[in-house]
Amino acid sequence: MTRWAMVADLRRCVGCQTCTAACRHANATPPGVQWRRVLDVEVGEFPDVKRVFLPVGCQHCDEPPCLDVCPTTATRKRDDGIVTVDYDLCLGCGYCAVACPYQARHRTPRAVFAYGGAPAKHEAKRHDPARIAVATKCTFCVERIDSGTAQGLTPGVDPEATPACVNSCLSGALAFGDLDDPGSNVSQLLRENRHFRMHAELGTGPGFYYLWDKALPEAAQ
Amino acid sequence: MTIAYAYGPNPWPQSFWDARAAANFVCGGAGAGLVVAAALSGARGTALVVPLLAGLAIVACGLAAVFAEIGRPLRAANVVRNPATSWMTREAIVAPLLFACGVAGAFGSLAFVATAAALALAFVYCQGRMVHAARGIPAWRAPQVPWLFVATGMAEGLGLWLALAAFLELRSARVAGWLGVAIIARYVIFRIYRRGLGRALAAAPARALDAAGRALLWGGTLAPLVLLAIAAAVRTQPWAPWLLLAAGLCAALFGAWLKATLVLRAGHTQGYTLPALPVRGTRA
Amino acid sequence: MNAPNELAAVAGSARRVPTYCYQCVAGPDLLTVKVVDGIATEVEPNFCAAGIHPGHGKVCVKAYGLVQKTYHPNRVSSPMKRTNPRKGRHEDPGFVPISWDEALSIVADKLNAIRAQGLLDESGYPRVAASFGGAGTPQAYMGTFPAFLAAFGPMDMGFGSGQGVKCYHSEHLYGEYWHRAFIVAPDTPRTEYIISCGMNIEASGGVAGVARHADARIRGLKRVQVEPHLSVTGACSAEWIPIRPKTDAAFLFALMHVMLAAPRERLDIAFLAGHTASPYLVGPHGYFLRDPASRKPLLHDTRSGAAAPFDAPGATPALEGRYEADAIEIGPDDEVLAQGRLQGTTAFTLYAEHMAQYTPEWAQGVCEVPAATIRRIANEYLDHARVGETIVVDGVTLPFRPVAVTLGKTVNNGWGGYECVWARTMLAALVGALEVPGGTIGTTVRLNRTYNDRHKSVKAGLDGFMDYPLNPTDKARWKPKPNIRNAYRTMVPLAADGPWSQALGPTHFSWMFLDETPKGLPRVTLPDLWIVYRTNPAISFWDTPGLQEKMARFPFVVAFAFTRDETNHYADILLPEAGDLESLQLIRIGGTKYVEQFWDHAGFALRQPVVAPEGDVRDFTDIATELARRCGLTDKYVDAINRGIACVPLKVAGHDFSLPANQSPSCEAVWDAVCKAASAEVSEGREVHGLDWWREHGTMTHPYSQVEWFLYPTLERMNLRFELPYQERLQRVGAELGRRLHEHDMRWWDTQLLEYRALPEWHDFPGLWDEALRDAGAEPSDYPLWLLTARSMQYAWGGNMAMQLMKEVADNVTGHRGVIVNASTARRLGIEDGDEIELSVPHRTTRGRAVVREGIRPDTLLAIGQFEHWVTPFAKDIGNASLNSLAAMSLKLTDSTGSGCDVVRVRLARAGAKS
Repeated sequence: MTRWAMVADLRRCVGCQTCTAACRHANATPPGVQWRRVLDVEVGEFPDVKRVFLPVGCQHCDEPPCLDVCPTTATRKRDDGIVTVDYDLCLGCGYCAVACPYQARHRTPRAVFAYGGAPAKHEAKRHDPARIAVATKCTFCVERIDSGTAQGLTPGVDPEATPACVNSCLSGALAFGDLDDPGSNVSQLLRENRHFRMHAELGTGPGFYYLWDKALPEAAQ
Repeated sequence: MTIAYAYGPNPWPQSFWDARAAANFVCGGAGAGLVVAAALSGARGTALVVPLLAGLAIVACGLAAVFAEIGRPLRAANVVRNPATSWMTREAIVAPLLFACGVAGAFGSLAFVATAAALALAFVYCQGRMVHAARGIPAWRAPQVPWLFVATGMAEGLGLWLALAAFLELRSARVAGWLGVAIIARYVIFRIYRRGLGRALAAAPARALDAAGRALLWGGTLAPLVLLAIAAAVRTQPWAPWLLLAAGLCAALFGAWLKATLVLRAGHTQGYTLPALPVRGTRA
Repeated sequence: MNAPNELAAVAGSARRVPTYCYQCVAGPDLLTVKVVDGIATEVEPNFCAAGIHPGHGKVCVKAYGLVQKTYHPNRVSSPMKRTNPRKGRHEDPGFVPISWDEALSIVADKLNAIRAQGLLDESGYPRVAASFGGAGTPQAYMGTFPAFLAAFGPMDMGFGSGQGVKCYHSEHLYGEYWHRAFIVAPDTPRTEYIISCGMNIEASGGVAGVARHADARIRGLKRVQVEPHLSVTGACSAEWIPIRPKTDAAFLFALMHVMLAAPRERLDIAFLAGHTASPYLVGPHGYFLRDPASRKPLLHDTRSGAAAPFDAPGATPALEGRYEADAIEIGPDDEVLAQGRLQGTTAFTLYAEHMAQYTPEWAQGVCEVPAATIRRIANEYLDHARVGETIVVDGVTLPFRPVAVTLGKTVNNGWGGYECVWARTMLAALVGALEVPGGTIGTTVRLNRTYNDRHKSVKAGLDGFMDYPLNPTDKARWKPKPNIRNAYRTMVPLAADGPWSQALGPTHFSWMFLDETPKGLPRVTLPDLWIVYRTNPAISFWDTPGLQEKMARFPFVVAFAFTRDETNHYADILLPEAGDLESLQLIRIGGTKYVEQFWDHAGFALRQPVVAPEGDVRDFTDIATELARRCGLTDKYVDAINRGIACVPLKVAGHDFSLPANQSPSCEAVWDAVCKAASAEVSEGREVHGLDWWREHGTMTHPYSQVEWFLYPTLERMNLRFELPYQERLQRVGAELGRRLHEHDMRWWDTQLLEYRALPEWHDFPGLWDEALRDAGAEPSDYPLWLLTARSMQYAWGGNMAMQLMKEVADNVTGHRGVIVNASTARRLGIEDGDEIELSVPHRTTRGRAVVREGIRPDTLLAIGQFEHWVTPFAKDIGNASLNSLAAMSLKLTDSTGSGCDVVRVRLARAGAKS
């Protein structure tokens, strides 16, 4: 089996938003719709303050709350763990969006373009009416994964098969790979580092891990 | 052109369900409650038909409001595709049955009235479960939410029945008693719910919810109880029904206010929390 | 030699085109653009370049704005001419479209008239001025225009748009002086401990900076960020120390104090004695004691027990102590100050005694960093320095000193910049961590030649040091008459006199002196014609309202224009050049280059038309060629190209690709020849590839040894010393400059002359802002807060203010939606997050939104980026406050290098609140 997962190393991330911009490019999302984004979090009080950059987006959960609530079955989970949205089935009720503890879902009621009014050439070229007024979210760039694996490429290793945000990440904070493969980059990162998943207490089983320190010596062995 | 963004890390108000969705929950609960009240009243004829149809109409208004909110109304029929897990699908399946039985009860066999009441209860329960399943919103996903929805729906419906009773000159003692039970139950469940949330709520939704809770206590619970008590004491007086009307309206309006608050002003996301901070380069 | 494999094909009619982004100084980034049916749709890293690029071939966030930039609805899409002769902020220029022929005729006629009249005006200043954006990045987009500039003759390139006050000015000048380090960086891949005073590397270091530091953090690098606010870099550091603004010198001095108080063996004695001027004997008047015959500086040879010239074979110099010697002491203007048996003190002893006063306890009172913290950091630095260890780099054994100190803007420029840069360099020298693996190293040179190889720029000078092209200050050669309006050659010896020097002078003087030229300088005049490209000084410099008023007086302005903006609002002609994804150019990549571009490869990269140009725009090379033709300069223009001004000499390694000088070359012909010459250079003549090959492959490089990253081996080989710690030469230069100026009755630079000290001292640098407020008739306590600024990675350079995508993603980073205010300060002033606030200086106020955060000192405000646009599309609706409109151009706040820094004292209030 394959379980695709993403790993974000919080020690590396600098909050540059290159992944955000790359995702906007790769997925041609409208202005303001950031399937991948990086939050700028401040913890503590002056002068004992820490600032953390936190990449967020769809966590492609094992038990996606969005999946259960979806009345249309537009939201599905593939065997490889990727949670998808069928734009042709979705009725745009927004239920999945409020069900998602990660605020990863978006709905654009009408076509929006960067400079208002008419779309620029590149926007017109890539505008997809099917995505208006329905739920959209990060797909782990599923088309890249599918076409890449079909060509025998390895997601997370070969750029052609890897999510755009990971390809773009300047600091190497984002990694992608198969959790079920103990030799994959993500499996290795998780072995070698301490990590958490966002809102783990909710039991959603996110496929998105945050690294924050190297593993304790005994854990790494 | 300026584009507004609302992203964390701190909790922020959900923006997907607006007043139209809130109207569905307010109307759905109150309308279903009214259907149940009609059945409980034991009334017949006009005294049954009017509240029963009014309840259905209110439920329909709520559904119409939410229909106006969905992004792709032409695909509304797709809503029924996931009965296995989606409480929205279940709500959507129960609704037509409720209407059918309600209408049948009003104009056909009385046996359908009880069925309609059961479906109304099911409908409001579906709504409660639907909100409860919205796990992105801490104020919604609390385990008491379905029961809070049932209790508020009943209290509001019974309150509306009493209000109608004043105009229809119906015998209302039984329903008044049920209302007393419902509003007490509603407030008790609310308190348990609120205590259960504890500090899980961000400041803004907590403030909104607490304000609505205070209103529920004074306007939606104590006031109608006092009014019901006075009405019981002076039931022979010609103006006693007006006390019941006031009690009913108080119960309904403050309950609606609570529900609307819950959807619109307490519907903040969870935001993000960091169970550990990154160790950047070295340990301190 | 490396050439990337053919880029992977993409489906259907789509293709990926390799090109580069060099919008900012931290570039270039190598990227591909996906083109679908002739329309650019996506930017991606050039994955084929991952193996050669120090940032693993990734592409900065800004490059993702290039698609929007190409198709921006508000692009200037044809040449325009002004129809309203009145100029002013509130005057509509009345631009109307004209043909290229008309536009170039108008410009060429003006230029020819100027040539006929004489290239210099009555004051001796060039009649033509040109301003380009910072740090040379526009050159990566202006094709062969530099060849036109060279052919044309003298131009004034000293009208700054922020250069000098918004660059690492003291670092540029002193860094290059001391260790050929126009920019200084840590040897990030090897260093273990960095003290970073305000260096915002995660925001300004580009792809390479971000990647290298992220790798280093995982490796275990400890970086201590010393800065008044918790910047992006502070966030990514192990520790944040919120220092009081403009007191970094005190902090750094105290670090040195602690290190000098530590046992000597913790320092790199061998390095200090053998590779610096530490053992040089300093005479009673503060100048080196010299050998009476050879005039070489003397040191005390412990073996012979007598003085010896610094380069005496076999001498073992005494690092510390006082010794007598038969010597001569020579002061300014070759004056003999003393001779005979003189007492000399080693430079190191003077230095150590000088630093004794700067205790951590003293520093705590100045910079508000606890003394214990200062001691701890100094000791951590020593602990990590690994004095005595070596490392093998590419087969060469070198000293290994994995500690570094870096400085950021406002620390390394303006008053205090000299002290900080000196302290930083000395902190490295004390443990031998200067220009060695793991240590503090330079990136490139811009004042010395050759630009592409800083090792070749090392030439033996006097006294055992590297030569440096100081502008002369002796009576015979000092030039009282400046060649351009900012007077760098007259006033700033360290600015040198090369092509980059004009922009490294006091570029605000060009603007300031338009109103009142100080005594002794020829009256500063308006240029007859001003060329502007990739810069918007009406927003990006200081005193922007005043600057705009001056711009309105410029008689004729030619602006290369992407969109309308606040500077080209005053233009007479707008020339829309083909954009980043529409035009052709080859540039050098690799080697070592700022900010953290340390490559294992070197070579070239092509920028090529990815898509057809939008509108009636022209490639810059075509514009330059046509202007040269119309000015009758084609032969000189082509000659400049042949000599290599467009990237590489066309005669190289047994090949001659020179263009015929008697005809105007096409754009493709120029770059085809350049491509061929470049490939011949990379392959040492073995391969010649024309433009078509480069269009397909994008880059071509050869390996570049990491040994080249470090200057130490070169100095060692040439038997040269770092000119540290004692600044005898600068002291002399300062004294001479003072004499020259006084001889011309110029006394307005006297305060600046005080900076020429052999051993830098702490002065109350923050107090200068108090004085400036008093001079403005204000009470300093009425303006209690320090307004600072910081780099916005998402917006900086490249005209990104007009990009919706950049605003969208920048807004995710704190501070891009307003001015950052400390939470307790905000509470005290009744300000809540998001409130509209007023920032005031005497006689000027600006407005923005409050961003309330904990990660900033209570006495500090931070306005990221540069805003307050009123013409630039999209940007004009952002509504953020900017430091630039509040910052005054002030002689008082200008240091001796001609630099100021981005610091303004302000009053803060909620908008509408009563003060």
